[in-house]
Amino acid sequence: MSKPVPGGVSDIVLSLADCKQLLGLRYAEWCSATPTLEADIAAAAMGLDDLGHSRVLAGCLSELGSDPRGPERETEPGAYRNVAFLDQPWTEWNQFVAANAILDTAFTVMIESLVEGPVEVLRTRLRKMLAEERYHFLHGRSWLNEIGPDPSVDQAWTEAVEWLGPEGGELRKRLAAKLERPEPKLSVDWSRWDPIRRRSRPGAIDGHTFDMLRGLEERRYGVTRAEATAGG
Amino acid sequence: MTMTRVHRKVREYDVFARKARVDPLRHVGRVVAPDDDLAQAYARATYDEERWVEMVIVPREAVITVTAPGEE
Repeated sequence: MSKPVPGGVSDIVLSLADCKQLLGLRYAEWCSATPTLEADIAAAAMGLDDLGHSRVLAGCLSELGSDPRGPERETEPGAYRNVAFLDQPWTEWNQFVAANAILDTAFTVMIESLVEGPVEVLRTRLRKMLAEERYHFLHGRSWLNEIGPDPSVDQAWTEAVEWLGPEGGELRKRLAAKLERPEPKLSVDWSRWDPIRRRSRPGAIDGHTFDMLRGLEERRYGVTRAEATAGG
Repeated sequence: MTMTRVHRKVREYDVFARKARVDPLRHVGRVVAPDDDLAQAYARATYDEERWVEMVIVPREAVITVTAPGEE
């Protein structure tokens, strides 16, 4: 008999799935715009990895006892449980690097904690992600050293701390240890923290991305049923 | 959009990989990166056409030529 799933795990897994899906899309948006050809290829590869991770995480929800996804996800961009850093496409390479180094690593720290935890489906299915995430980490950490201090880094770190939650002290320490640098002085207003979306900042993903997530952008370019019938 | 400067100094790395433990490592390509970490990430992302059981990278400057084309 499998062990009972601790309360709140489904919510964390869904937020992780949403964050990974958005992170994968944002990486992909940069796959022909990074400073080097090698980084272009890495952006594409990491984007595919994170989209795959999102699918695996979403696939675990039905086995966790309660799937928190409701019909509001078809109409409300704010129903997605992603960090605010992923709401809009990035306009600066430093934002890519900050997300890659800080947020992607924060998600990895949470995955490690789930792999070490009591829930069997997470212990087994999420393990492979850690091997892939090692390359994301190497990429992010090296570029983080390259860009130096930047407001994007502080913003990403603040949102990572919020996402790890008010009881995520141990995970915060693990994040800083991995990045081999002390956590910067951050100002987090926990009174405004949304425990479902794991963020303090209001707002939601942009309309174009929301359409893509629901497959509407794809349908714009697809053959309609009427066209297919007319074509014989 | 402002562009970040590209790395001040880079190294070339040769990439070797094999599909099965019984296979020898073979040269599959090359990457250019400023450090070993990024070289690993780039090698894995660039040469992912196979399910390698092993991949290694070697800085080109660490390679010692024993014989070369055209030498007696």
